[in-house]
Amino acid sequence: MVKKLKDFLIQLGCVYTIVSVTGAIANVIGGTQTNNFNVFLMFATCAIATFVLNLHNMFDSVSPLVMIILQYLIACVLCAIMIFVISIIYEPISLRGVFEYYRSFTIPYIILAGYYYYSVFSETKKQDILIKEIQENKQKEF
Amino acid sequence: MKLNLYEDKNNIDEHVDIYFSNMRPVIRRIVDTVNSDRPVLSGRPADEDLDDGEEIILSPEEIYYLDYVDRKLFAYTQNGVYRLMNTLSSCEEMLWNYGFIRVSKSNLINIYKIKLLKPDMNMKVFAAFDNGERICINRSYKKSFNEYLQRMRRMG
Repeated sequence: MVKKLKDFLIQLGCVYTIVSVTGAIANVIGGTQTNNFNVFLMFATCAIATFVLNLHNMFDSVSPLVMIILQYLIACVLCAIMIFVISIIYEPISLRGVFEYYRSFTIPYIILAGYYYYSVFSETKKQDILIKEIQENKQKEF
Repeated sequence: MKLNLYEDKNNIDEHVDIYFSNMRPVIRRIVDTVNSDRPVLSGRPADEDLDDGEEIILSPEEIYYLDYVDRKLFAYTQNGVYRLMNTLSSCEEMLWNYGFIRVSKSNLINIYKIKLLKPDMNMKVFAAFDNGERICINRSYKKSFNEYLQRMRRMG
């Protein structure tokens, strides 16, 4: 349990660093600024994403496509809870704000899911070639 | 691999010398054969109508895959299905040098018998065999499967 928590924190640290540095670069290029609230929101979103992606072991019995959809739905529910809490303790978030938030969350998710989809096909093709090569090597040896 | 055979009717000290660059599976298999450690699996036909009580000797080369169902281990070959008395983990250890790798909690497949490796639209990866059967390669075993293939290629 402690090891899992340690691994989770390391992954979260890496994910947050990548996301915040990318955000900082985008701010520099676009000439925009961020505020403390956005930094916290970004961190909470990274924590949810890392947590949800860590659940992949629970979905071993289902296909990767179903796993991706389930993970997305879980992430959506957790984000909705987070937005609800923020609305209560900080300030109410408009419907437009909620939509923008989900959009900025969904687009990278779809891109990464697409990349995963491609990588499964590409990796399998490479493995198939490797198997043929191993089979040919065995035939040559005898 | 070069093979030299020397026949001497007066030889009283029969022996085998093996010159190799690295201890790869093919060398290990030859060593096993010389030491009479070559894994042999014995099983009885899974179909009770075909079971006459006699055990059938199965060579690793003829097995497509092993399937562990309801605490019973079955070996699938071109000629039929046989029930083995071994455990899946003992077979995994025994058949490592013979191209067998674990791809799920209940399956051990022979990579030399794979006809095609292909993912379906759900992104599940399946290994298809000559006999038309398909076995799913579980995501949890994907990494070890890939490492095994890389290793077999390097050692082959």
